[in-house]
Amino acid sequence: MNYLSKTERQYFRVLLPSFIASSAIAIIALLLLKELGLKPDFYYLATAGVVLIVSLIITILVNGMLISPLRHLWKLIISMTPHSNSQPPPIESLKIGRELVANLTAQLYQLTSSISAQKPGAETNSLNDNFVANKLPLPLFVLDATETIVYANSVASDYIGIATENLVGKNFYMVMDMSFPSENTLDNWLKEVKANTATASMSWERVRLNVLDNHPTRLFDLAAFYNKDNPNKYETMIVLFDHTKQYSQDDQAVSFVALSVHELRTPLTMLRGYIEALEEELKDSDNPELLNFMQNMRATSQQLTAFVNNILNVARVDNDQLQLSLHEENWGDIVMSAVNAISVRAKVRGITLETNIEPDLPTVGVDRLSIYEVINNLIDNAIKYSNDAKIIKVDAHLTKDNLVETTVQDFGLGISESIMPNLFTKFYRDHRNRSQIGGTGLGLYLSKAIVTAHGGNIWVRSALGQGSTFGFTLLPYAQLAEEIKNSDNKEIVRGAHGWIKNHSLYRR
Amino acid sequence: MQPDPMTNNEPHQTAKKVLCIEDEHFIGELYKRSLDKSGYDTTIEVDGVKGLELAQSDQYDIILLDLMVPNLTGIEILRTLRDPVKTPHLKAKIIIITNLEQREDIKQDIEKQADGYIVKAEMTPKELVEFLDNIA
Repeated sequence: MNYLSKTERQYFRVLLPSFIASSAIAIIALLLLKELGLKPDFYYLATAGVVLIVSLIITILVNGMLISPLRHLWKLIISMTPHSNSQPPPIESLKIGRELVANLTAQLYQLTSSISAQKPGAETNSLNDNFVANKLPLPLFVLDATETIVYANSVASDYIGIATENLVGKNFYMVMDMSFPSENTLDNWLKEVKANTATASMSWERVRLNVLDNHPTRLFDLAAFYNKDNPNKYETMIVLFDHTKQYSQDDQAVSFVALSVHELRTPLTMLRGYIEALEEELKDSDNPELLNFMQNMRATSQQLTAFVNNILNVARVDNDQLQLSLHEENWGDIVMSAVNAISVRAKVRGITLETNIEPDLPTVGVDRLSIYEVINNLIDNAIKYSNDAKIIKVDAHLTKDNLVETTVQDFGLGISESIMPNLFTKFYRDHRNRSQIGGTGLGLYLSKAIVTAHGGNIWVRSALGQGSTFGFTLLPYAQLAEEIKNSDNKEIVRGAHGWIKNHSLYRR
Repeated sequence: MQPDPMTNNEPHQTAKKVLCIEDEHFIGELYKRSLDKSGYDTTIEVDGVKGLELAQSDQYDIILLDLMVPNLTGIEILRTLRDPVKTPHLKAKIIIITNLEQREDIKQDIEKQADGYIVKAEMTPKELVEFLDNIA
């Protein structure tokens, strides 16, 4: 938070002299009046007071106008050089930074394009000869209303390994086979803004470019600026911020860990088997310490199993290998069995799990093990972030839209609004308590992939200091049964994907 | 709290015979203990060839078959047991137990021939008993 206070200091450094200058002018004006022989009676004093207040207001307004863009630019510079700054800027300013760049680039591009178009003899090649855009150190694409590339700078051409002349005139989606971490893709966003708005900007993190041939996969953040009915036909500006090195390091780390923990699965299951056996043998023991040890052993082995499964499934999701078979199940039974299993872990922390399952819920179509993992992840998070709160509520009910909704509510730390949009992103962890609370930043990412593959939705509601509620919906089995009727298979198999293809051209 | 179905240890009316073809000693031991406690009569066989012979004797109700056993692979055992010439009659239900990550098509192919498919690392012995109680 160091840089914010620095901003405030800068603010006052500009504000104070401005205020002194304005006040000085007011006093000089007053002295001038006196010099002209007018007595500084009450009327003049009041006028001077008003002048003073007005100058103060003007000072604040002008400074605000000056400082605000400066602060944005400054945040932008920080966000563009993440490695040189030990204190990572908050995500929200990162977003502002990227969108601001796209926005500024768009303005600049249009300005220089219209200037060069006015030059004699420039109309032939003005699109490919935009001096300013070519100086931009970031890959830039300019698209028309049909997503055809009208301009790509040389950095963009180098970045994706295709010559500029082979880019211009091509459909952007044909050239850029991109995958996004959620359904909020560029394509979906463009469709939406084209229908509703005149101008808009948006940015995405962790976009993957699937490159053909021998080019390595690129990972980047992407910012877009949209301007409807632009007179020069440049509707969309797209700027890329490469993070291939940083993002692929994270992904490789997961693959490596997955490879290692795979070998842990069998010994771990055996260990759990022996713990089960031991517990059975000791169940009539009257030694409370021994029983307590057994309980802790079971809780710990479950936690380790959940961790191993999370890592393995994230690796599967990333490689499009997580297959779910949906079967008809009684939802109440599944929730109760998950709650019972994890209640030992809650008990160790002195937390009680309160369940409230609506009777007569319709059966759901789920992959038992995977959906179990979702409930487990949500309750596990609730335990971790409960702080001193001693109750976690688990609730299952039918929504107005006839979906089976399950919620997990804690009364602990809560989540600030600014970070909520990033919660389901891979590796994202709340920076406020990263060092105190353990975790991989994979649980919610995986839960989202699993719930989405079930045809459901996952959401969060939270208030800082009051706790959080995570919830997800599932389809009643009757809706899925229709799907089975119309196919040859006896069961429904769904893939859980970490990446969503940008455009239907590439969807399988 | 609902009653835990896994603690139901009442013996079966007539003990169901289980053949477990599995070469990992710990797993065999754990499975046998849990199953026998729940009223099954379990035989463990670590060798593939001997396992097949026992299976073909048709005295079992359930066969738990590991895919990686010495001398004959689980897939070969499964094929032989499903071949009407080599195994004219088999009353047992065949449950594959494995830890191998299969490609989905191979897995589906195995599942078609077997009556169940269990990933060992995803099931504790107690859960195995529950699973068998449900299919038997």
